[in-house]
Amino acid sequence: MTLLDVKEITKEYDGVRALDQVSLVVQKGTIKGLIGPNGAGKSTLFHLISGMERPSSGGISFDGMDLTTLETDAIAALGVGRTFQTIQTFGNMTVVENVMAGMHLRLKGGLLSCGLGLPWNRRAEKEALREAKEILEFLGLLGRWEWPSSQLSYAEQKMMELGRALAMKPRLLLLDEPGAGLTPQEMRLLEERILRLKERGMTFFLVEHHMAMVMGLADEIAVLHNGQLIAEGAPEAVKADSKVIEAYLPSGSSGKSNGERGCSK
Amino acid sequence: MKNKRQFRKRDILYLLPMWLLSLILPDPLPHLKKEFRKRDLFYLVALLLLPLLRPDSHFNYIMILAGIYAILAVGLSLFLGYAGQISLGHGAFFGIGAYTTAILTTRCTFPTLAAFGASAVAAAIMAYLVGKPILKLKGYFLALATLGFGEIFLVVVKEWDGLTNGVIGIFDIPWFSMAGFTFDTYLKQYYLVWGVLTGLVLFSKNLVRSKMGRAFLAVASSEDAAASIGINVATLKLEVFVLSAVFAGFAGSLFSCIMSIANPEAFGLNLSTLIVMMVVLGGMGNLYGPVAGAIFLTWLTDMLGKYQEYSLPVYGVILILLLLFFPDGVGTRLGTRFVYLISYWPKKKRRDEVRS
Repeated sequence: MTLLDVKEITKEYDGVRALDQVSLVVQKGTIKGLIGPNGAGKSTLFHLISGMERPSSGGISFDGMDLTTLETDAIAALGVGRTFQTIQTFGNMTVVENVMAGMHLRLKGGLLSCGLGLPWNRRAEKEALREAKEILEFLGLLGRWEWPSSQLSYAEQKMMELGRALAMKPRLLLLDEPGAGLTPQEMRLLEERILRLKERGMTFFLVEHHMAMVMGLADEIAVLHNGQLIAEGAPEAVKADSKVIEAYLPSGSSGKSNGERGCSK
Repeated sequence: MKNKRQFRKRDILYLLPMWLLSLILPDPLPHLKKEFRKRDLFYLVALLLLPLLRPDSHFNYIMILAGIYAILAVGLSLFLGYAGQISLGHGAFFGIGAYTTAILTTRCTFPTLAAFGASAVAAAIMAYLVGKPILKLKGYFLALATLGFGEIFLVVVKEWDGLTNGVIGIFDIPWFSMAGFTFDTYLKQYYLVWGVLTGLVLFSKNLVRSKMGRAFLAVASSEDAAASIGINVATLKLEVFVLSAVFAGFAGSLFSCIMSIANPEAFGLNLSTLIVMMVVLGGMGNLYGPVAGAIFLTWLTDMLGKYQEYSLPVYGVILILLLLFFPDGVGTRLGTRFVYLISYWPKKKRRDEVRS
């Protein structure tokens, strides 16, 4: 079953085509990888899906709903969670509060009922704290739940950001370079956790530079190059694709003509 | 042996001021701690006993004024300290509250309690109308827009003679009365103002420890990330703005009832910057700080009353020093330092013991 359907999406910035007629689908319960050299348009595609930017043309539908006209928070409410390439954690809160912030939509109550501290509100808050601790335990951060989040290491902050997205109970999780800046050991732990989440029925769409990780994780891989989709399919098939090899290892004149910087990691 | 005895003496020397400090200084992680703690009780008892310990009418008057400003500061603290948005026009909402009460009680003979509620509603409506367009702005632009709103309000009040009696203002506003009880002495008014403040602080405390408090902090920290977890940033900002205007409306209403006068002098830019200073002084992202800031600055204003002309430069210097050395507020910074200190101290002691 198709969960996310990107149809002929184009995004232009003042004449520069960041994305050109890109179409791809993400099947429910699978992990889809998105790779490509720097500047290929991967993050742009994520911004379009999560509603932070609007496409110039084309359509994105999530479970039958059109996302291109919705605001970011409405898209999140539909069940699309995301993490950021450069971590965007809430440094002014503790670790557990960061995770609990992800439950914003699932917790009921507005300004007035929260301010009056109604009993059912307090109960929900207790339940949220328990649930957030479970998530932290899953991510191996339970020992630091009361820490100010700005005191965590980079890798831990990345984990916490993932925890915040998990707290939304999203149906689709967009991970923008989850492995960047992690040690090999941390990366293995992350892979393990993503696979365990997949077993629970979560769908992933991830951008990743680390080839070993994305090849091991993804059920299907799409390759972007200069804003165009040049290959899509099973990891082995993509790895062997001549166009992909060309994009990553530009040889001779073709490499110079498209001005590609190549893969940095 | 001799060494040990020396340590004990020092222990006592350190412990007493540290215990006192722990009662006064704000919590380093205030958003999470839920229990009603001994510190809250200490504050409450001190609040109740203070006017009885010092039955001096000038002192009571200053504390009443400080209480009114503290209501304003706590409201602004939600907007500035938690949601991270700046407003230099809060004096206007204070003024709207004051004038609503003044007009309703003197012209329409409303009971003061009803006028008290109406003031908050008037401030909320105004905040909604003003906030809807200008809260899209950020940083300096928002500061300028709110500043402009404050100045426009002042001009309207001065020129609209028919409604507000111009620069002269409205006199003879009745004392605040409730169910046949009139708050006609400083002592009664002290308990009225600080009672209202306690209620509002409790409300804010519940609020910042709930999902809304986390949403405020999220918006202050990263609007993109806040939107990505489903927080409607624009609506949330508007809600906090309206809420802090409601606090200002309450404060304004109390002010006009107690001073029994409402004139444009009291609601200008001076007041708006003073409130911002109270919040910054007390600390961003905590609730007791702004109250402490309000008490300190009201007292300072009173001390500097003799040198009225020089008060503005003094405030300016204070504000610059604060922003240079305590960008997140004196209270918040000291609280964090204090926690590091007490976690460091026993370790140091242990190290010393091992060494000797």
